Amino acid sequence: MVLQSELVARWADGKKLAFIGDGDAISVCVAYLHKREIFNYGPSEIVVFDFDERICGAVKRFADRERLTQLDAQLYNCLDPFPASLIFDSFYTNPPWGASNGGESVKAFVQRGMEATGYQGEGMIVIADDSDLPWPKKVLANVQQFAISSGFFVQKMMSQLHQYHLDDNPDLRSCNLLIKALPGNTVPPDSLPITDPQRLAHFYGRDNPPKVKYVREQKRLDYGKASDDEYSLELFG
Amino acid sequence: MKVGTHAQEPLDSIIARKTKEIEQAGFALWGYGGSTCHPQTMVQPFVRSYEQRGQVIYLCMQEMDSKHFAEQIRAAEFSINGIDWEPIHPAINVLGSRYALAIRNLRKEAFVLPLAKTRVAVGNSIGASGDRYIAGRVDKACLETIEEISGTTETEPRVSIGLMAEIVTPYAVYVRNETAK
Repeated sequence: MVLQSELVARWADGKKLAFIGDGDAISVCVAYLHKREIFNYGPSEIVVFDFDERICGAVKRFADRERLTQLDAQLYNCLDPFPASLIFDSFYTNPPWGASNGGESVKAFVQRGMEATGYQGEGMIVIADDSDLPWPKKVLANVQQFAISSGFFVQKMMSQLHQYHLDDNPDLRSCNLLIKALPGNTVPPDSLPITDPQRLAHFYGRDNPPKVKYVREQKRLDYGKASDDEYSLELFG
Repeated sequence: MKVGTHAQEPLDSIIARKTKEIEQAGFALWGYGGSTCHPQTMVQPFVRSYEQRGQVIYLCMQEMDSKHFAEQIRAAEFSINGIDWEPIHPAINVLGSRYALAIRNLRKEAFVLPLAKTRVAVGNSIGASGDRYIAGRVDKACLETIEEISGTTETEPRVSIGLMAEIVTPYAVYVRNETAK
């Protein structure tokens, strides 16, 4: 995570960076390590867009506690239109890897990332990259074709860079796929919701379309403390 | 999957209890954990795809010695999708598990399964050979048999199956011990 954070900080130095989902908190690592001057470079602004309010809340609370003024989060589901008023220089996404849908779920997140930059910026996509299995190769090809058809080109592919120790595939590796908009790239019309049933049918795995719009946080006054329903007190006497 | 003592209960006792559940409720829920056979993303689509072709999916279990100290907490509710929850049939007791497979026709069998003749049928490892997938901490998988045998040798991994069942609708479910607040 530290290596990936350093890489992201260097790649997006001085830029406005949108995270399209961030389940592994790379955004927080990048902002914090920059603030603590472990890196003397990093994005000028980071906004995390995630459909899990717990993640958004955790990012905001951490940013507030550590005075990370450049870090913020916004509740957002990538099937909804991207907020048009927000324009970034770059985007980062580590989406569902699309093993069961040829990368359609990756393309949805990448599309929102492109929209976040007004189709003028750069993107870093974390995506499966395995030498043995067939599906990661197909997904990589489909995502690269999608990027090219959207007016981007593949700038770099850092092959088999990460390993996530997934329970169902501990050896599966992933790469950073870096894309960049072509000069004078045409901005498509308004961002639209993604509703095509074929595109959504296997979004989270075979026969698993999205059902949850947002994961809502149960608000608590004593955030960070053990929940009352986890224990009871047995008193002396 | 490997099976043995679970939630401090010996395997023979579990088998007797599950057989009774099948008699009383028409099926039993066989508790398990881990994420290689996640109910919603792995087992349900896997079994459904075979059932649509008129085929049956078998739960093949390999007996092992184990000391499983999970609490004997009975699951009160089950869910197919993690959103809608229903009470578990009073005759069915799932203890100390997060997930459960719906099974019937539970019986002892004795045969050897050559893992090299199988491959992973669903998920991030789809297409991987069963003998490479079932290794280390991974002891459960949604596997399909294949005609071709790649790299079969005398040292080919084989597992001795001692217990079998048929997986029936709703295939695999989440279970929990109480209604979330």
